[in-house]
Amino acid sequence: MKRFLKSLLAKYILIILIALFLLQAAYITIILVFFNFVEDTDSPEDGQHSFAEIEEKWHQEASKVVSEDDVIRLFEKWQVIYPKASMFWVNGDDVLEVQSNLQENLPEEWNAAFTAQFLKSQYDNDPFTVVAFAGESDEDGFIVFQLERDVMKPQGQRLFDQYSWAIITLTIGVVFIFIFLSLWFFRGIRKRLVHLQEAMEIRDTDGLPILIEEKKQDEIGDLEKSFNQMVQELRESREREQEEEQLRKELIANLSHDLRTPLTKINAQAYTLQKMNLPIEAKRSLKLTSTSIEDVDRLIENLMSYTLLMASKYKKELKEIDMARFIRQYLATWYPVFEREGYDVEVEIEPFEQNTWEIDPLWFSRILDNLLQNVLRHAADGKYIAVRTEATGHYDAIVIADKGRGMQVDTEQKGAGIGLSIVDMMVKGMDLDWDIDSTEKGTTIKIIRVKRAGD
Amino acid sequence: MVHILYIEDEEEIGQWVTEDLIGRGHNVTWLTSGNQLEQHINNIDLAILDIMLPGLDGFSIGKRIKKANQDTPIVMLSARSAVEDKLEGLSFADDYVTKPFHPDELAARVDALLRRFQKGEESMEVGHLQIDTKSSIIINKHTREEILLTGKQYQLFQYFLRHLNQILTKEQLYEGVWGERFMEGDKTLMVHIRYLREKIEENPAKPTIIETIRGIGYRVKK
Repeated sequence: MKRFLKSLLAKYILIILIALFLLQAAYITIILVFFNFVEDTDSPEDGQHSFAEIEEKWHQEASKVVSEDDVIRLFEKWQVIYPKASMFWVNGDDVLEVQSNLQENLPEEWNAAFTAQFLKSQYDNDPFTVVAFAGESDEDGFIVFQLERDVMKPQGQRLFDQYSWAIITLTIGVVFIFIFLSLWFFRGIRKRLVHLQEAMEIRDTDGLPILIEEKKQDEIGDLEKSFNQMVQELRESREREQEEEQLRKELIANLSHDLRTPLTKINAQAYTLQKMNLPIEAKRSLKLTSTSIEDVDRLIENLMSYTLLMASKYKKELKEIDMARFIRQYLATWYPVFEREGYDVEVEIEPFEQNTWEIDPLWFSRILDNLLQNVLRHAADGKYIAVRTEATGHYDAIVIADKGRGMQVDTEQKGAGIGLSIVDMMVKGMDLDWDIDSTEKGTTIKIIRVKRAGD
Repeated sequence: MVHILYIEDEEEIGQWVTEDLIGRGHNVTWLTSGNQLEQHINNIDLAILDIMLPGLDGFSIGKRIKKANQDTPIVMLSARSAVEDKLEGLSFADDYVTKPFHPDELAARVDALLRRFQKGEESMEVGHLQIDTKSSIIINKHTREEILLTGKQYQLFQYFLRHLNQILTKEQLYEGVWGERFMEGDKTLMVHIRYLREKIEENPAKPTIIETIRGIGYRVKK
């Protein structure tokens, strides 16, 4: 019950009840006022007399009439009080003698039949008609007083005319109060809903919605509560996910660490053996061991990177990088490796027109590492590597070319698959593209940045 | 003789690296954890640290060493190769080598760091030149004559010597010596290299000391 009283529904019912009460109260007020006036003002339009009184007075005045002048004076007097009234006198000879403000055409001569018909037609009709004998006797004829009944409005109508502004104002007032209350109520709801919607759209640094304040215990309050509950659940789920992700990352990192440690030991032993005075055969197989260790090492590294990339957990930080400078500096570390292996190294780096690319330098180094590693491993026959820049109308590219036997021919390079998958994911992850062209005479790989609007 | 502190908990690897570094003429103290770090912290020229160690990990040890002496170069040597580990390592350390590694590579990196931090040998020979780094004297061994360089030439040559065997791009050289950002097309560096070659090379048309690595930069190799 207590909850119900706090609900919006209860408030709305209250508003409806108030409105109904106001309407009723208004009617009652109007009716009361009406009745009071009815009692107070039982008078006709002249503000003094009712029809009955007019009739009585007319009879009285008519009985006093003795001459034609009296009739004329009487008419003049009454005309002042009732300007819209019409009056006439038919004398003892049945002739229409005096008239005042007569509207309709009446005959001069009044025979008995016409008089009877006139009386019949006018009795209790509109206009209100009073017929009275002039003077004491019926020989002086009769005088008639006529007044349009709509001039003599009914009392209710007159009251309405008089106080209509109050009634209309009161009615409109009540309607407006109801509209205002409804609007005020609705505005309150709307404001809270908009506020709620805005609050729901705010995101925390972790991309999740923030908790909102639960203000009232009504339907919207329930909604806020449910929303908060949902946010809480989201948060917990995110935390769980992060924990799992962290565990996974740790697991991968630890696994790769634990795999590399024995590899390092094997490497140490191989190196120590190599230093000894061994037959050529043994030295050769030690060399192969070392190469295999390097391959396994790279495979572990690639597997780890691949797993992280697939889960979108490989750290990426895009920066504006001066490409010509970056590539030159990068090649400075690789040059000695190719030099040692007796490669012919050709480097032609020219700054691009749009020389700053938005890349993660670590990612880009990783891409180049994988590509150069492949050249070193699988294009050794060519003993040639070229790294150059290429600019065309619609793209800029960094080109790595070798003169090996090409990718299709080389069956030993299984390991290159995952390395190139990483290259593919990383290149695309930085909004770049790449292209590989491998024939038996060599492989050319381009890392392409398509020119964009504004370059 | 430089004193290298090496912390590694894996016996086999520790033994191997220690012997190799001693064989290369370094004085090595090998610890299996950071427990006795305090005894050595103030008299080391370079530190090589594993990360996964019992007790204090390599990151914490490295930070302590840097805190005690900013000028002690540190090489992280770990089987952890995640980007996050490398970034954390390189936030204070000067180099990061992942296992498995070739001892020549480790030795090269150690030498490069020692030169960069100007520790180690006071005199060295490059080609026909005998260089005393302390007194800044360069002698042509063939003629037994001292080669006199101007300020900028010496700074440039010194920069090469500090990065011996490394290829330096023109950006790195210009910014390292002049301390200003290199602008593409600036000929200052090339002019200075030409003058420097005229003084130190036996045949400036065929330089043997300052090599040109086409498309990349220059190198002075021991």
